[in-house]
Amino acid sequence: MTTQAGPSRDILRFTTHRHLRQRLLLSILSGKSIRVDGIRSDDVHVGLRDYEINLLRLAEKVTNGSTIEISVTGTSFLFHPGLLPGGNYTHTCHIGRSIGYYLELLIPLAPFCKKPFEINLYGVTGEEGRDMSVDMIRTVTLPHLHLFGVTDGLELQIKKRGSAPLGGGQAIFKCPVVRTLKTVQFLEKGKIRKIRGVAYSTRVSPQFANRMVEAARSILNRYIPDIYLITDVYKGDDSGKSPGYGLTLLSQSTTSSLHSSETLSVPNQTQTPEDIALKAARLLLEEISTGGCVDSKHQWLIALLMALGKEDVSKVRMGKLTAHSVQFFRDMMLFFGTKYKLVENSQTGEVDVSCIGIGYSNVNKSMA
Amino acid sequence: MEQSHRSHHKPSAGNKHAKKDAAQGIDRTGGKGFNPKAFTNTSFRAADRAARRTAEKDQRRLHVPLVNRNPEERKVTSAKGQGMDEGKLPPPPIVVGIVGPPGVGKSTLLRSLVRRYTKHNLNQPQGPITVVSGKTRRITFIECGNDLNSMIDLGKVVDLVLLMIDGSFGFEMETFEFLNILQSHGFPKVIGLLTHLDLIKKASTLKDTKKRLKHRFWTEIYQGAKLFSLSGVMNGRYPDAEINLLSRFISVMKFRPLVFRNQHPYLLADRIQDMTPRELIRENLKIDRTITLYGYLRGPNLPPRNAKIHIPGAGDLEVKNVERLSDPCPLPTLESERRRKMGEKAKLIHAPMSDVGGVMYDKDAVYINVPGSFTKGGDAPQGEGEKMVMDLQDANRTFADGIQNSEIRLFGHSSAPLEVSQQQRVRRAAAPRSGGPMLGSAEDEEYDSAEDGEDFEDEDGEAMVDGLDDESEEEEGDVRYAESDSDNDDLEFATGFEQDGKIVNIDDEDVDGEENDDIEDDDDDEEEDDEDVPQWKRNLSDRAATSFAERMGKRRDLMSLIYNSELSPEEIAAGKTRPSSADAESSRMAQGDDLFQVSKEENKGDEGDQLKEPVDDEALKAKWDDEEMLNSLKEMFISGPVGEVDAEGNPYEEDGEGFEDLEDGDENEEDGDGVPYVGVKPSAGDSGVDHETARAQAAAKKQAALKAKFDEQYDNDSDEDGDMMDFYDQQKNEMAKQRQLNEDEFQGIDIDARAQIEGYRSGMYVRLEITEVPCEMIEHFDPRFPIIVGGLLAAEERFGYLTVRIKRHRWFTRTLKTNNPIIFSLGWRRFQSLPIYHLDDHSIRNRLLKYTPEHMHCYATFYGPVSAPNTGFCAFNSLTDDSPGFRVSATGVVLDIDRSTKIVKKLKLTGTPYKIFKNTAFIKDMFNSALEVAKFEGANIKTVSGIRGQVKKAQSKPDGAFRATFEDKILMRDIVFLRAWYSIEPKKLYNPVCSLLLADKGDWRGMRLTGQIRRDEGIKTPLDINSAYKPIERTTRRFNTLKVPRKLEASLPYASKTKAVAPQKKPTYLQSRAVVMTDEEKKAVTLLQQIQTLKKDKVARRKEKQEERRKEHRKKVGVVDEKLQAKLKEEKKERFKMEGLKRKREEAAAEGKYGKKRTRD
Repeated sequence: MTTQAGPSRDILRFTTHRHLRQRLLLSILSGKSIRVDGIRSDDVHVGLRDYEINLLRLAEKVTNGSTIEISVTGTSFLFHPGLLPGGNYTHTCHIGRSIGYYLELLIPLAPFCKKPFEINLYGVTGEEGRDMSVDMIRTVTLPHLHLFGVTDGLELQIKKRGSAPLGGGQAIFKCPVVRTLKTVQFLEKGKIRKIRGVAYSTRVSPQFANRMVEAARSILNRYIPDIYLITDVYKGDDSGKSPGYGLTLLSQSTTSSLHSSETLSVPNQTQTPEDIALKAARLLLEEISTGGCVDSKHQWLIALLMALGKEDVSKVRMGKLTAHSVQFFRDMMLFFGTKYKLVENSQTGEVDVSCIGIGYSNVNKSMA
Repeated sequence: MEQSHRSHHKPSAGNKHAKKDAAQGIDRTGGKGFNPKAFTNTSFRAADRAARRTAEKDQRRLHVPLVNRNPEERKVTSAKGQGMDEGKLPPPPIVVGIVGPPGVGKSTLLRSLVRRYTKHNLNQPQGPITVVSGKTRRITFIECGNDLNSMIDLGKVVDLVLLMIDGSFGFEMETFEFLNILQSHGFPKVIGLLTHLDLIKKASTLKDTKKRLKHRFWTEIYQGAKLFSLSGVMNGRYPDAEINLLSRFISVMKFRPLVFRNQHPYLLADRIQDMTPRELIRENLKIDRTITLYGYLRGPNLPPRNAKIHIPGAGDLEVKNVERLSDPCPLPTLESERRRKMGEKAKLIHAPMSDVGGVMYDKDAVYINVPGSFTKGGDAPQGEGEKMVMDLQDANRTFADGIQNSEIRLFGHSSAPLEVSQQQRVRRAAAPRSGGPMLGSAEDEEYDSAEDGEDFEDEDGEAMVDGLDDESEEEEGDVRYAESDSDNDDLEFATGFEQDGKIVNIDDEDVDGEENDDIEDDDDDEEEDDEDVPQWKRNLSDRAATSFAERMGKRRDLMSLIYNSELSPEEIAAGKTRPSSADAESSRMAQGDDLFQVSKEENKGDEGDQLKEPVDDEALKAKWDDEEMLNSLKEMFISGPVGEVDAEGNPYEEDGEGFEDLEDGDENEEDGDGVPYVGVKPSAGDSGVDHETARAQAAAKKQAALKAKFDEQYDNDSDEDGDMMDFYDQQKNEMAKQRQLNEDEFQGIDIDARAQIEGYRSGMYVRLEITEVPCEMIEHFDPRFPIIVGGLLAAEERFGYLTVRIKRHRWFTRTLKTNNPIIFSLGWRRFQSLPIYHLDDHSIRNRLLKYTPEHMHCYATFYGPVSAPNTGFCAFNSLTDDSPGFRVSATGVVLDIDRSTKIVKKLKLTGTPYKIFKNTAFIKDMFNSALEVAKFEGANIKTVSGIRGQVKKAQSKPDGAFRATFEDKILMRDIVFLRAWYSIEPKKLYNPVCSLLLADKGDWRGMRLTGQIRRDEGIKTPLDINSAYKPIERTTRRFNTLKVPRKLEASLPYASKTKAVAPQKKPTYLQSRAVVMTDEEKKAVTLLQQIQTLKKDKVARRKEKQEERRKEHRKKVGVVDEKLQAKLKEEKKERFKMEGLKRKREEAAAEGKYGKKRTRD
């Protein structure tokens, strides 16, 4: 007999810790089991890091019926994904990575749960150089989900801020469930009509935030008058355990395409708020110059949600593809067999990404 | 008497008349056009009625708009050259299932229909038979056997059911079973066909039968469902007139897409081939086979790689390889079909399982059985030469066509294939062309239109002299192409071009018809472009842009880099096209033109799983400190300068995206590698002509955009005016728009690359290579049983617990019991599973039910493959023919999918008090240990008499005893119970019904019911002695007399003393006296007695009389009853006799007299 009950026969195999989250994400969405081998086999500290184990635990927590088997040395693990029940969760993230690291896994999963998803995350709210801060997720990532019809009840509340290295922040992420995603056609990037930003500071002088705003304006004022950067100073208990400050900038165009950048203070490094703000502003300009209708850090998210749509063609113009996106396209091929049509404009470097949705519908969502 | 009808009056409208009018310049509109006032109602009542009628009609029109995933049917219009949109993928053939009980005339009907469409006489129709039914439509006929498995499978794929009913017998159980299966899997269209009506001799009986059957049919389908009646069989076929009528109904039938089929790609295999090497089979007879299945794809696109499929009856499999084959049964082309009627040549039939005309198709060969000398339709083997000659017969394309569609390239690096330009056909000189190595050029626009015009004239003539034109046209073709020239055919053969839709395979089959179609498409597209620009001018800018891009070496095929190269993502993102030899040099180079550092792939550290990329601060600062750099971004902002500025500083008329149109223009001219050339804005250094062209194009584009905008606005306005259908029309518009987008997006990409991206589309004829197929599927293959390939969605390979809403079918006689195996037909699959029935209990819990409720829905949960919520299913207790009665046991719909269940059943724990204080009691025998008690601390308990209480704490002494408090004092004899809920998990059984793998397809046996096993094994039902019902003995309670001690009695106050009274000892006054009557009294008493006696006697006599009458009556009735009984017995006997005969006939038919015309007495 060819058919057998139980988990599907094929297990996708990967090596190294690279792109671990997207593989975990795609595994849960596609229902395919994965096995990752040779995790940091060349490193002094062999195997999975604590924050990665924490991530695996989170994945296990938000799914029903998942099993994770981690080898003794921690260099390989096997993951059988379960279904997504949704509901309320609380998770204490490892302070090795910021909350953004964990949210990037949860955000694409949340719309496909059985019940509306709500999670209370504790940990570091922002970290320079690796993952998106909660500010960016709130102001840039969530609007990107709006494109696909995930709107009502989608929110991220930043209850407390906690800078690296000790954290102490808290964020609540809420997401509604959808049956199917909308098909997207987004080719007009339009012209940038406003720039917004959030400058935050915790456990440092509140003046830092104001100084950052000033410095950022010094670069951006030449382009557009509609610049509105708010200062967000958390005090007392809400400001976490470590001092820190940072600036998140985003630009919105006439067709609501978003571009964003952010720079955060690095612990134990002396950077003036001006340095940080100037860098953030320059990064925003750099981001804008890459073009496209979506932010470069969200190319993968858009690509994923395009593929998970109905069996219709979605088309989005993206800026220059990042390495992360390239790997994501490859992984999408493995997990869902989706191949994207990529047409690069050799002059601007913009890429028209189009694909046919696989008709992914939220089977978790119950009818009654 | 012959009734004389009024003859139809001659038609005065239609295409013919319009043409005539146009030719003669007659205007029949009366110069004014439509006068709305002319048709208004005069009376209020009529107006009201009319308004209501329109409102109702409008409402009836509304259905939930559904996307149709199949390609649209072509439209044949009278306008020449644009009617039949060739090149577009036609929709797959319509699947018409012929269903009915055996002996009802299914094969006869199939033969008649095939004969009607193709003039072929099939002796033994088997498997799907595809025929071309008209210029726009093809039909696949398939006969459905009488077994439930075939009915289930076919019910999931047919678009139209021809439901055959034996008029002389009436409906049979299978018919109703089939209709119920259809209902639960999405109802396709159904046409009823009554046969064997010639057996009913009496006219009035015939009329009554028809009416009765019609009404029964209507209740089952819908009021007014089409029911045909076919009269007797002539020459082994039904009368031509009736078949003609039926075929007309089939050809105009419209289909509404069904939700499930809109989500799953599927295919009705018309051919199966075993590809396993012979040697392997010889070594191991039972080895898993590699098979290929062929058929038209339907529904959404089939994934190109590792598509997961389910073959009902064979199991879950994976498609290893998909290949598109040329259509074996193509629609007539415009070229061949200039007439109104379809030519005989185009009436093709494709029925590989039926062996039509001795032709068999394979991947790399076409097998033709030639019986005589060069005639088709026999079995004799043939030599190579013969085969070649046979092939030549099939050539329906000319050499010129072949060359035109060819892919020969002059040089290895040629960008476009060699093409024979259409100039050969031209009678005028083509427009001048200015230079440029344009191999793959577009057709001449003017020329084409001229030819069209000419054709139009031709056609006109044709319409008038309908019969004659056939030859003349063919002659024309002869002159032009020398159609039957053997040289050409040889060449075609050598080049491997398509002939008659088959591949003449040389070594590979990439050189396929479809590619050619695509090239044609491109040309067409180009033609449709701007018409004003002269031909030579049209591509100038494109060409310039292309060559420029090529010079710069900038062109990068991102897709092949990502999907086909070994480059690391970082390298691709950094813009490299060749893999680095891992030296730092090149990575630094890449870094040079970008700020972001290329990090090397290392298996250590924390990098590699982050979104933000490391940035070189210094480079960033340097870049964005530059004033020029900063200013260059200004145009991206709303406040920036409007319009693009070229090198000289002259603003473009176009804003921002001047390169766009160039690219668009380019896209038409792709050479097939999937990536269009990317145009570059021509600099001022180029010729002025280029600049002008760009300008003109920009202007044209702007105009087009404006027009589109205006159209949109205008359309919206009109929508708002007719606000009644707003939402509905809006939805439909959106769907149409999306559909157009879907079609356009991948237009112009080479066919294989396109399939790789979007999958194989509906309507394609494909060959699926499937590995690891159980050998029994090949060994026990029987063409009478359909093979269906159903695509599975990502989630559907998984397993889990399905919660469904289920209702026992009201015709199914027995109830369904929890944990008894039943067979589900859900999605594509048929499988056995063990459901647990439950009901929602006050929205708190799901409570287990032992049996399904009688006339109510309940829930069921079982283990099985995941199906999307809202999928319908039906269930069976047994699929075999021997089970009596109605076999569909339940129907329902999927509600929910999960990995765990929350079904509970009630559990009552009982205990008895062993010590009672005021409100406290100590209870024993409820639990076994203190630990158990600890689990239930605080739980509510209750006595039988209704006193509520709570579990407090475990006692140490008797194990499991505990202290409990109650709201009142309980009695020692009270039983205390605790109501708890025990969760139940369904048992994990998934047993797919592998009927296709059996030698005897109808004899699949799954897990048996418990009762069945007991019956088969002769085991008695185990009887727990405690469960047996015994007579309840209720002894009357005896209360002891209340005895108050004398001392106490004495000390009580009077009011409280016992009021015991001693019984009376003396007789009463009346008892002690005697009664003496007077004479008069005596007389009166006697009289009364006499009257009584008389009355009694009278009653007795009357009763006797009545009894006599009754006896008489009973006798009479008895006689009549006897007669009736005798009659009934006779009737019963007759019926059984008929049934027996019928069964015997069926058996005979099954034993190999298959297809033989049966006789009836």
